Amino acid sequence: MFLPLSVLTEQQPRPGHLFPTELGWHVLVANGSRLYRVTEDFRDAWQEASNEKLREALLAEAGIGSITEERLLESPPPAVRALSLAVAQKCNLGCTYCYAEQGDFGRAPKNMPLEHALRAVDLLFLNIQPGESLSLSFLGGEPLLNRPVLQAAARHASGWALRTNAKLSLSVTTNGTLVVPEDGDFFEEHGFAVTVSLDGAGEAHDRQRPFRGGEGSYSRIVQRIEPLLRQQRRMQVSARMTVTPDSVQGVKESVDSLIALGFHTVGLSPMLSSPAGHGEMDPEALARLLGEMKECGRAFEAAVIRGTRYPFLNVMNAMKEIHRGTHRPHPCGAGGSYLGVSAEGKLFACHRFVDDPSAGFGSLESGVDTAQQQRWLRERHVEQQSPCKTCWARYLCGGGCHHEVIRRGRPSCDYIRGWLEYCLSAYVRIKTFQPGYFGATN
Amino acid sequence: MPNLTLDPTNLTAQFEHRGRGNPPSVLPLSAISNCFPGLEFDFRNVWRRVLEGIVLHEAVGVVMDVDPGVPANITELRGAFLVSVDGDPTIGDVQGPRTTGGAVESLGQDFLEWSNALARILTHAGEEVRCEFQTQQNTTITRMLKVRRFFHADELTNNRTAAIGKDLATPGELTQSLCSPWQNDYRECGCYYWAASRPDYVNVETAGGVTSGHNWMARDRSAAAPRAYTLNNSLLFTYDELFQNWETLLKFQIDGRDET
Ligand code: SF4
Repeated sequence: MFLPLSVLTEQQPRPGHLFPTELGWHVLVANGSRLYRVTEDFRDAWQEASNEKLREALLAEAGIGSITEERLLESPPPAVRALSLAVAQKCNLGCTYCYAEQGDFGRAPKNMPLEHALRAVDLLFLNIQPGESLSLSFLGGEPLLNRPVLQAAARHASGWALRTNAKLSLSVTTNGTLVVPEDGDFFEEHGFAVTVSLDGAGEAHDRQRPFRGGEGSYSRIVQRIEPLLRQQRRMQVSARMTVTPDSVQGVKESVDSLIALGFHTVGLSPMLSSPAGHGEMDPEALARLLGEMKECGRAFEAAVIRGTRYPFLNVMNAMKEIHRGTHRPHPCGAGGSYLGVSAEGKLFACHRFVDDPSAGFGSLESGVDTAQQQRWLRERHVEQQSPCKTCWARYLCGGGCHHEVIRRGRPSCDYIRGWLEYCLSAYVRIKTFQPGYFGATN
Repeated sequence: MPNLTLDPTNLTAQFEHRGRGNPPSVLPLSAISNCFPGLEFDFRNVWRRVLEGIVLHEAVGVVMDVDPGVPANITELRGAFLVSVDGDPTIGDVQGPRTTGGAVESLGQDFLEWSNALARILTHAGEEVRCEFQTQQNTTITRMLKVRRFFHADELTNNRTAAIGKDLATPGELTQSLCSPWQNDYRECGCYYWAASRPDYVNVETAGGVTSGHNWMARDRSAAAPRAYTLNNSLLFTYDELFQNWETLLKFQIDGRDET
């Protein structure tokens, strides 16, 4: 057959990904994140196909078409239904890799005034319909450095939710060093999701997250968080680890220890882009991390089969998303239904872009810049990204964290795809041996 | 011939699965059955049994029947109108112009389409919600009714799939109110609803950029009949005439004209 040169030279979009499991060969169809078990005939035909067009044709022959995506590019920008407030753009820790550059985003430390916080909440509830879901999160810097404003904004939002019959989720990400027992009561009363940044148990954490004076923060944090761990009913207290090449060895052990402390979930993410380049993961460290995460994943699988808990958040989220077939044209809601509010009342694509003028989305005063929203969503769509538009994982991955990609590019694709392939096969195993696990998630 | 049978594993795969040999219209995305009686299945029927104990009409909020063995305070709902569920009304005020180009005004109350009116209550599956009924005698009664689960779950494993729950429709119910092309609906529904196979504007002639012709349903389509597309009921075939004799009355169209 004669093929035009462009077909031979240009990378063609992969319509899906074929992979083996102990329970037979499967194919993930990128469009619609649909997962199928396939016959050996199908596998052979897929493997023998010399290009992606032929694989697309094979899928079509088996009755699998695409659910078109183009419409999304043209749709009007969504209403903002998630906001994060940088209530304190300052911090008492001196983490080596912090995206907020020790909390102040490289500028003078400041607190968000009450007036801005209340106004941001009003913006969140603009034109709300009964039953709609919204989320309000408090970030920084260290948000507990501005406790009164955090509490007032949360109360204001709870009042709104009650009056409008909307479903509000409140969350806070804290370094844990300033938590007092009254915070526990407040978070419990309002059903907060509390995320504590902990980069491991003990020394591993202290190396990366010291106080500004240099001494370790781990024991202080654990002492302050333990009462909350016992108190959690409506509130959920989770740990989040940032992994650097220095801490990658022993990630599984750290996850085990944090789970043993009683956290609701333990999640992690690799450090991919830091302001001064400190602690960024290289391909070798990412490959090691993948190995550690698969071990955590296997511990999770074993727990699910036994009917016990091993709440490793990364795999739990993946199971939910694969089961539902989450189709994600963007990696997250940033710049769409989610925006970050700076202490000065300006709006940005997310909490990481605070005070970055290239990702400005208007202000509390002038309202959301919907033209910028539309532009951002169009430009950042995974089909517009390279090499994402040809990648089989594009609609599960969404193209990677905007902040990291814009600053550093995409050094972690093999890691992302490796993790997804593991999760897809774990899904097939759990679905077969403990299908009831998915009962609660749909 | 190679065996390419795929086994859909996750929910989107199940939802979008088209068995080999089935036409595109079996998929919810390309079917026309979500708010009208479709040609493949009538999706409206999935809402009839969404509230445990009662059976609703597929299009109107009237209680057609009750489940066997229900207590008397449920039996008495037979014939009553369901007017709100969990605080959401099932009836709305229809607004629009009464005549072409006329002012927008209230055109009276009508029942909302179920998929829009009831979708929200599925988040309460397994729970009781407050349902308000209006009896034929115009009194209002309130009952707490349990919302059925929408998707089928295997009892043993609690494995939920993208299949419609068995309790929501008994065998035959999803197709019982399909379009009946050769009966009422062929006359009832506007021409735009039908695939190209249903003729509409026939015996058409064009002169000076203007067309004239007959409605295919017009009783008199002879050469002598005035060539104007009529919607005047008295000039159209009745349902009964069509039931009795459609094959002689509705002629094949050859080159856009009634066969002779
Ligand atoms: S970021 Fe990498 S893994 Fe994700 S969609 Fe793009 S190319 Fe694929």
